[in-house]
Amino acid sequence: MAEKIGVYFDESAIGPYLNVEDLAENVRNRWGGNCPVIETSPILAGEEGRAMIESAIEAGTIDGVLVCGSSPRVDWQFFDFGPAIPVERVNLREQCGMCFPEGEDEELKTLMAIDYINMGMIKLQKTLVPEPEQIETVRTVLVVGGGWTGLHAALHAAGGGADVVLLEKSDQLGGKARTMYKTVPLAPPYTQAHPTGIEDLIARVQAEPRIEVVTGAEMQALEGAPGAYTAKFTNGTEKAVGAVILATGWVPQDGKALAPLGYGSVPGVVTTAEFEAMMKDGQLKAKRVAFVLNTAKALPRDLYQPACAPEPAEGEPAGEEAEEPAFKDMESARHLPYASAVNSVVALKQAGYVRELDANAQAYIIYEDMMVQGIHERFYKAAQDDPGVMLTKGYVARVEPGEGGSVLLTVKNTLLGQDFELAADLVVLPTGMVPTTAKDPVMNFVYRQGPAFPDLDLFDGFCDSNYICFPYETRRTGVYAAGAVRQPMLMDNAEEDAAGAALKAIQCIESANRGVAVHPRSGDLTYPKFNFVRCTQCKRCTEECPFGALDDDEKGTPKPNPTRCRRCGTCMGACPERVISFDNYSVDQIGSAIKAIKVPDNMETDGPRILILACENDAYPALDMAAMRGKSWSPYARILPVRCLGSVNAIWVADAMSKGVDGVMMLGCKYGDDYQCHFVKGSEICNRRKENIAETLNRLGVEPDRVEQYQVAIDEYDKVPGMIEEFMAMILEKGPNPFKGY
Amino acid sequence: MSKAVRIEPDLQFIKDLQAVGGDSLKKCYQCATCSVACPLSPADAPYPRKEMVWAQWGLKDKLVNDIDIWLCHNCGTCSDLCPRGAKPGDLLAALRNMAYRSLVSPTILGTWMSSSKYLPILVAIPAALWLFVWYLTTGLTIPEGDIVFGKIFPGDYTIDPIMSLTFFFMVASFVLGVSRLIKSFGAAGGTYYVGEHKKPSVLNCIKDVLFNEVGQHANFKECGGEVQKPEDEERFKGHLALFYSFVILAVVTGLIAFGHWGGKVIHFLEPMGHTPLPLYAPHKFAALVGMCLGIYGLVKLTSRRMNLDQSKTKSSYYDWYLLGVVWAVFATGAGALLFRLAGVATLAYVTYYVHLVAVWMLFAYLPWSKLGHLVYRTVALIYARYIGRVPLS
Repeated sequence: MAEKIGVYFDESAIGPYLNVEDLAENVRNRWGGNCPVIETSPILAGEEGRAMIESAIEAGTIDGVLVCGSSPRVDWQFFDFGPAIPVERVNLREQCGMCFPEGEDEELKTLMAIDYINMGMIKLQKTLVPEPEQIETVRTVLVVGGGWTGLHAALHAAGGGADVVLLEKSDQLGGKARTMYKTVPLAPPYTQAHPTGIEDLIARVQAEPRIEVVTGAEMQALEGAPGAYTAKFTNGTEKAVGAVILATGWVPQDGKALAPLGYGSVPGVVTTAEFEAMMKDGQLKAKRVAFVLNTAKALPRDLYQPACAPEPAEGEPAGEEAEEPAFKDMESARHLPYASAVNSVVALKQAGYVRELDANAQAYIIYEDMMVQGIHERFYKAAQDDPGVMLTKGYVARVEPGEGGSVLLTVKNTLLGQDFELAADLVVLPTGMVPTTAKDPVMNFVYRQGPAFPDLDLFDGFCDSNYICFPYETRRTGVYAAGAVRQPMLMDNAEEDAAGAALKAIQCIESANRGVAVHPRSGDLTYPKFNFVRCTQCKRCTEECPFGALDDDEKGTPKPNPTRCRRCGTCMGACPERVISFDNYSVDQIGSAIKAIKVPDNMETDGPRILILACENDAYPALDMAAMRGKSWSPYARILPVRCLGSVNAIWVADAMSKGVDGVMMLGCKYGDDYQCHFVKGSEICNRRKENIAETLNRLGVEPDRVEQYQVAIDEYDKVPGMIEEFMAMILEKGPNPFKGY
Repeated sequence: MSKAVRIEPDLQFIKDLQAVGGDSLKKCYQCATCSVACPLSPADAPYPRKEMVWAQWGLKDKLVNDIDIWLCHNCGTCSDLCPRGAKPGDLLAALRNMAYRSLVSPTILGTWMSSSKYLPILVAIPAALWLFVWYLTTGLTIPEGDIVFGKIFPGDYTIDPIMSLTFFFMVASFVLGVSRLIKSFGAAGGTYYVGEHKKPSVLNCIKDVLFNEVGQHANFKECGGEVQKPEDEERFKGHLALFYSFVILAVVTGLIAFGHWGGKVIHFLEPMGHTPLPLYAPHKFAALVGMCLGIYGLVKLTSRRMNLDQSKTKSSYYDWYLLGVVWAVFATGAGALLFRLAGVATLAYVTYYVHLVAVWMLFAYLPWSKLGHLVYRTVALIYARYIGRVPLS
């Protein structure tokens, strides 16, 4: 706990907006006893400023640093004095000086600055020096899946210095790649399909002493936490592992999805997978082969859903007693179009097979969208140049038997508006790629939240927790997905994925053994601490944790697993008894900071006050950006960053209301299907909790709509001031908080 | 167009098209930049994207019977702007080359005209013919005295009958070719009128084409789009000069023939047909002007072709063959004149011999050469107006 706080003002940052001397004087009067150093520096964010602060720390004069200047998002490299010295940055430049609306009373700006300084001081006083919990870790990476991705992942992990256990379900390594005749080009000049090289890859894996290969077994259970998992296999063996790479790939979609294109009813209609096998076995004889890339025909009706829900049988009790199935199969018609980018390139490759066998043979590729990504454009161009490969855009409306054993395609919606018919000896349909995690829990976690990855239905079973920002990341810390289980992809991408996931797995082990968070708060030393004396075993924390970090015992007492934790604080926000806290972030700390806001008794003369709890990942930077781009907002708003809206405890709202604050605005990430939340669930959970908050407010006799949650993306800086304005207008219309003045 | 056509993508057809100049057609990804860029293409069913797609689909009949290939004046704007380097302009040129090759029989001539490997045969025929004449007249020796080409190649018994026969053979071939062409346009079918429309008379169509398109090169000038590049200007001027040079030389030839044969009946016409003409004869002067105009045109057209960006537009064998033969005609014509005036008998006679070979090649093979466009394009342009594919100007 910081007791001797050095307060530093950065003249260069806030001088243009505020009278620094007045502020320093104010601190001296209000906090003088706690602050042995109160100094102003012309340029604090620089080597000189840093040296000045360091000398005070070395002399033992101060044990905590309060920097009043720019946003904590900038200049951070000058204000890191090691884990033992807590630092609080008071954002007086962006969120006080720059955002202050022109023409308002300058006095209001000073009041705002003083509030922010006081809030910072309280936060700093309530910050503990973090004590990381270090555990003994196992430097072994388990790779689940011995296909192209898994083999590469194993080699990468071994190359990174880890021991590897490679688990393969079948008796042989190689996966899908072993069934392939050739692959789309993986190396320059990217114009010719070539053998996959899977045999060499398997040989390299088998020759690597760090890699132990286990075949003919699957995951039975994964117990424990990152750094110290116990993996149990179906063959009865157990391995201690530190992190897991999930490379279980995909399975072909059920052929019924392709029935509208004649699959199963018209002879001579096959899938790409079957065609590949024909080629590999030397069975390919056809001279005219049509490749169909249309998927729309399979889509209008979802073949996986019955047209109408079956009527409950007579006498069978409906509803409640029908038990939820343990795992719901997520395979759907949509897995076909999801694989279009793969199928497009595969069609080019297989068209090449037709031409390779016979110089007079012809391949026709009919597509609605030719999806060729990245460097494969070269392969596309090369295929296009082949006079025996016809590529044309169109919608395959009908596939039926033609004369002489051929298959007749009717193609509509062509570029010339002219429908055409085309006869082929063989028609090849695309293959839908269904990730293994859509069919099965796969990892079989021994976690309180269940054996499978949560909420994968959002991605139709693809095991990917956040599509843009964090590839490989899953909702289970320590398990990293790579390859087609994550997203339909070709072998070159799978190889890259393998490298990425291997690095993540190693990073995870190396973080666990130093007691720091892996992701996304990489290097964070704190972790949630439980004051079990007051815990009522309500299980809210264990249920709400987006990452399944917390297990519990029979009584419901939470069992923290710090290495599974991502430090979002959702458990802290959930706890009605407020027993969970971090060393540098706690219910008491933020509550006290809120109480440090000076709320004037008379709203008519001195204006209202609103509190903005802003997500530090998106909303807070959006506010900074708005200010930097010349936007301004109400001088009566006070912004307090939080780790995630999920960490917002209802008591903070109550604290604010009892203090007389007129409204609380919660600015968080977008949630729902297209969520952008750093911690996946935080803002969504916060929104759900608002019901409880409304109840509390009703009990206090305060209108519940004084508390509102807004969704903002990091790039919506232009919209944020408008949101604040809207909320302010609503508060002004309502009038003062009835608690004001008590 | 609800009725589906049956398509049969044809590997051999694509290879054939590639062989006659459409070698990049496979690169097309059908974006339609070409049709948008073309300043001449009609709004309804525009070319050349349509032809690019047909070629891919293997719709041979459609392509061979397509009137639009003649509407294109080959400025190359589409090929310049093509994002894939598919050279749609070259494809249309290739399709025209295909038409030259196979419209009329003997199609063996078409085959011989399609590749440089047959050039020796094409040269050997007239070379042997004229050598035989030379053998008959002077026994392959150079005659003494004044240089008069008639001593070796007398007009009355050799040049005139041979050239007349050649000319009528060419005309007959064209009559056949044109009738086939019109029939093929008819087979392609389709009327292009929308709403009420008065069909123009054939005479009006012919007048419009001859006066505007042929006489003034109106569309040819417009070809190239809004931004006129220097090479388009070069092409327009060169082509116009060469065209009028041919017109002048044809008139002069006609006058000489008329004077020579007519002079046998109406005697005062005789001097007009007596060759060699004195330099002061007005039609000799016209011939010299025609020669200069022709060489000017050739220089322009050749320099443009040589400076073309090969990645955008490629010149086919058809292009080079025609330029080569016309160059040979003009160069040997001028050479024979100069050597004659300079009194270098051997060179003069030999050059004149080569001149005769070149002229014969130009005329005898005309329906199968790129110069066939003189007739086919003119007919197609008239027909296109008649059926309403393009409006009267």
